[in-house]
Amino acid sequence: MKLSVTSLTKHYGPHTALQDLSIEVLAARVLCLIGPSGGGKSTFLRILGGLETPSSGKVSLLGEDLPTSPNGLLAHRRRNGFLFQQFNLFPHLSALKNLTLPLEKVHGQSPSEALSNARAALDRFGLIDHAEKLPSELSGGQQQRVGIARAIAAGPRILFLDEPTSALDPEMTAEVLELIQELAAEGQNIILSTHEMGFARAVSDHVAFLANGRIEESGPPSQVFENPGSSLCQRFLSRVMRY
Amino acid sequence: MLSRQRLLNLVAALLILGGFTWLCVSIFTNLKDGDWNWSRPWEYRELLLRGWKTTILLSLGALVGSTLVGLLLLFGQRCGLPVVKWTCRLFLEFVRETPLLVQLLVGYFVIFAPLLSRDFERWGWNDKLVIGVILLSLFEGAYLGEILRGGVDSIPRAQWDSARAVGFTPIQIQRYVIFPQALRRVLPALAGQFVSLIKDSSLLSVIGVQEFAYQAKAYTSQTYGGLEAYVPLALGYLALTAPIAFISFRLERRFRHET
Repeated sequence: MKLSVTSLTKHYGPHTALQDLSIEVLAARVLCLIGPSGGGKSTFLRILGGLETPSSGKVSLLGEDLPTSPNGLLAHRRRNGFLFQQFNLFPHLSALKNLTLPLEKVHGQSPSEALSNARAALDRFGLIDHAEKLPSELSGGQQQRVGIARAIAAGPRILFLDEPTSALDPEMTAEVLELIQELAAEGQNIILSTHEMGFARAVSDHVAFLANGRIEESGPPSQVFENPGSSLCQRFLSRVMRY
Repeated sequence: MLSRQRLLNLVAALLILGGFTWLCVSIFTNLKDGDWNWSRPWEYRELLLRGWKTTILLSLGALVGSTLVGLLLLFGQRCGLPVVKWTCRLFLEFVRETPLLVQLLVGYFVIFAPLLSRDFERWGWNDKLVIGVILLSLFEGAYLGEILRGGVDSIPRAQWDSARAVGFTPIQIQRYVIFPQALRRVLPALAGQFVSLIKDSSLLSVIGVQEFAYQAKAYTSQTYGGLEAYVPLALGYLALTAPIAFISFRLERRFRHET
């Protein structure tokens, strides 16, 4: 997966979320965004995922420029998967329906085709027994796993994960991280933001440290975690790794 | 329940029952023999039944009409064009802040009757009934619009985001994600509004629509003040409103786990 960003800026009214952000990633399977809260990780991910448009700057992903028209962005979102911190599932639909509805209405599959694909995706993540349950009847970890199943059911080119475990307890975090690791091992392109440093180090082949709306440090995990050049990144890592 | 609470509950039940009994006894001992004569409403049953049927027709028409008006106002208020948005807002505020009685009188005698009555008569329609349905639809629709808007606004941003992320178009987001959830949330208010609509239809007697309340009044004047018709009147409305309340209660229970 190739990513090239130059001078990306995003304003929300008077607030500047991303300020002149640039990064060059030549080839990565899993790209991890780390950094303090409010540093711009979510905004960056939302732009890459086609949920927000930049105020200025240029983004190219997989060798293609990111579209800016509403239809182009819609097509971009349909080609990729996106998972948020929480409340991903539609609460009025069963786990299975959460998968089949987009497959039918967005990807144009027939009801029987969508059903068998959705069941396969749930089965793969050990969720088939929960297929008929409503999201409110599932644990937080199960909900996130159904969310991931939905995001990958249509075979996305890139899977975007925005702090997928931040709302979960340690046990559920582990169950979701294991699943993400599995997907990465199978070759799925993933861009995720996370506060799980150990996980970021183990699973990613490129890490970017974001603070104050720009990339302060970028490189392979061994370099970023062991030998960070930026003082901001050094301070951040020494603080989060202390306990 | 605690035994103390149970005792208090029993005392409260006895007090309420006692009060109600006392009220009934004092009302019935005050009635003179000639006040109740149940053979008379039986003679006029055709008249009352006709009124009741008109009320059903009126309510069904206004139910459909007000839903359309409500949806129109909902979308109008969410429209990107400020002129449309503010026109809807202004209409809504005007309708909700003036009495229905005034709207009916002005709406019928000043606005709609001079414009439409002749055409309706030519087509063989009952102009009072049709205009009554229109006026009632506009009034109840304004309230429905506000209820629906509240429901849509109450759906968290994360749901819009998720729906966009899976690739739904704006219309699909409304249809598959926002609307079904919003409807579940506003169901009690919606049912209450439909009950109000049925009861408010009794006001249409002022423009001469021969609905249930109109016929009850006609009965009272024809029989020189027999008050019996008001009992079937209340029961007749109850027969229409109670099922709505019951269905709403059942649906609410079914949807409880879903949000």
